[in-house]
Amino acid sequence: MDGTQSSNNSETDIWSEAGTTRVPFQVYQDAEIYAQELEKIFYGSSWNYVGLECEVPNSGDFRRNFIGEREVLMIRKGDGALSVVENRCAHRGAQLCQTLSGNAGSAIMCPYHQWTYTLDGELTGMPFKRGINGKGGLNPDFDMKAHGLVALRVESLNGVVFASFDHDVPTLKEYLGPDMVKYFTRIFNGRGLRVVGYERQVIDCNWKLQMENLKDPYHAGILHLFLISFGLFRLDQESKCLVDDSKGHSVLMTNKGTEEGKEDTGGVKIAAPDFALTDHDLIQPRLEFGDNTTLSIQTLFPSIIIQAQCNTLATRQVIPKGPGSHELVWTFFGFKDDDDEMKNLRLRQANLMGSAGYVTLDDAEALEFSQVGLSGSSAGDAAVLEIGGTDCESNDHLVTESLIRGFYMKYRDIMGHGKAGA
Amino acid sequence: MDQSEISQPVTDDVVLRRIERLQLNYISSIDEGPLDNWPHFFTDKCLYTVVSRDNFDRGMELGVMRFESVGMLIDRATATQHAAVFAPRIIRHLLGPTLVDDTGEGYRSRCNVAIYQTSPDGDTMLLMTAIYNDLIVEQDGVLKFKEKRVIYDTHRIPDSIVYPL
Ligand code: FES
Ligand SMILES: [Fe+2]
Repeated sequence: MDGTQSSNNSETDIWSEAGTTRVPFQVYQDAEIYAQELEKIFYGSSWNYVGLECEVPNSGDFRRNFIGEREVLMIRKGDGALSVVENRCAHRGAQLCQTLSGNAGSAIMCPYHQWTYTLDGELTGMPFKRGINGKGGLNPDFDMKAHGLVALRVESLNGVVFASFDHDVPTLKEYLGPDMVKYFTRIFNGRGLRVVGYERQVIDCNWKLQMENLKDPYHAGILHLFLISFGLFRLDQESKCLVDDSKGHSVLMTNKGTEEGKEDTGGVKIAAPDFALTDHDLIQPRLEFGDNTTLSIQTLFPSIIIQAQCNTLATRQVIPKGPGSHELVWTFFGFKDDDDEMKNLRLRQANLMGSAGYVTLDDAEALEFSQVGLSGSSAGDAAVLEIGGTDCESNDHLVTESLIRGFYMKYRDIMGHGKAGA
Repeated sequence: MDQSEISQPVTDDVVLRRIERLQLNYISSIDEGPLDNWPHFFTDKCLYTVVSRDNFDRGMELGVMRFESVGMLIDRATATQHAAVFAPRIIRHLLGPTLVDDTGEGYRSRCNVAIYQTSPDGDTMLLMTAIYNDLIVEQDGVLKFKEKRVIYDTHRIPDSIVYPL
């Protein structure tokens, strides 16, 4: 396809140009586009984060999660391997497990009519299979093998587990590409992981706005008065913005500046100048990854973010809940061999992040302002993404929207919305 | 919180009324402001955490807020008022009756709380239900929180948490 000209699909017409400097507001609110995103992106050829291996250490342990709007279970099997199955009974569709996590023992049993499955999702039996006294029950030629749970393809990389509904998807490492694997394994470097705790929050905006926010270094040096005031983030800091070859993944990294130099804020109004912070630990990271980077945010298509701000580490999973809302699940983690000081730092620096975070509170609010602002817009109205030019390339500066433009290149490609960049 | 605490139920009405008043003044510093007063309900060294019941039951201490001194509480009050961007809102705490035990180290006070939030458009929603599990001590004739743990049930929080709870 070539831009909007040769389109035989009306959705492609919403993009006014071949590139991605204009993102039509429909993609944030149209129910039909949303339904297609679920099918083509989340249930298609993508790898989706489902959790950390350390969340399911023992045989039978499960963690319930979402891919798109479908519920899945990440399960530790008897042989130590992992399976991911859909949390929906093959009989009449009941939800199998209700708790967020637990132990299923050696089999998954549906609470409704007790159909029973292996931890891989194979159907093994049900009560009254042969009826009573030869009456009732299942037809003898009922094919048990054809009625298992939907099983997903699973891969894990240094303790982080991904799954795909598409069994023909390229390997996880191919999907991420060498650059993204390099930054992924900078954090997940093989050290044993531990969960520090969870936070969950509903943010009433389209899931893509959340992804955009983490691909938007431009806002971070403007919106986040707290970061700017204490030198944790400024747009003039030594930094990197990397977009991978597929354009869908990215990482942005900065090195902390000093607390002085509040004048270098590019005209941004900062907090009261006499606001001195009592808790300096909050902004004094202990370098732990062998470099001077104090903030790194990696976003992997479609919907997982890996955050390392000072020593507060977390995966942030974006779960779509209709066109106008999403759930954000934060899994704060550390390493098994963290010393006491580090354990305490991770708890205290978590004040920066999460639903009440000094930093992320601003984001959630601004994202809701966006959704409110764009709803009711007319066809043809679009977001303008021209900060840092029109391309989707990597940069050594932060005043750019190229990471977001990259995301929409990949998005258009998968959605069949014309050929981006043509 | 310590299981080994030896505690006696407090039946002295004067003490109970003082603790109830402390809690009411505390929520008023948030609901009615000014927020600058909020840190001073705590002892210099203290523990203020807001932890989901989900984390708490898993033995995880991670909270949406965790402050260990009055200074850190002042940081939060100042940041909320001068270094944060959010839509204005009204917060309203509703407290249930308080159970008080004397632990020897201070008064252990527990009460249920429902916290509502009202948007600029005038819509009110339930932000969370929670329990306050507090350790209260007397300092120079004034009751203060040495610990305040807000353990909230609503672990899928329907919005951001702007103000302390
Ligand atoms: S719906 Fe699961 S056994 Fe019937
Ligand atoms: Fe942000």
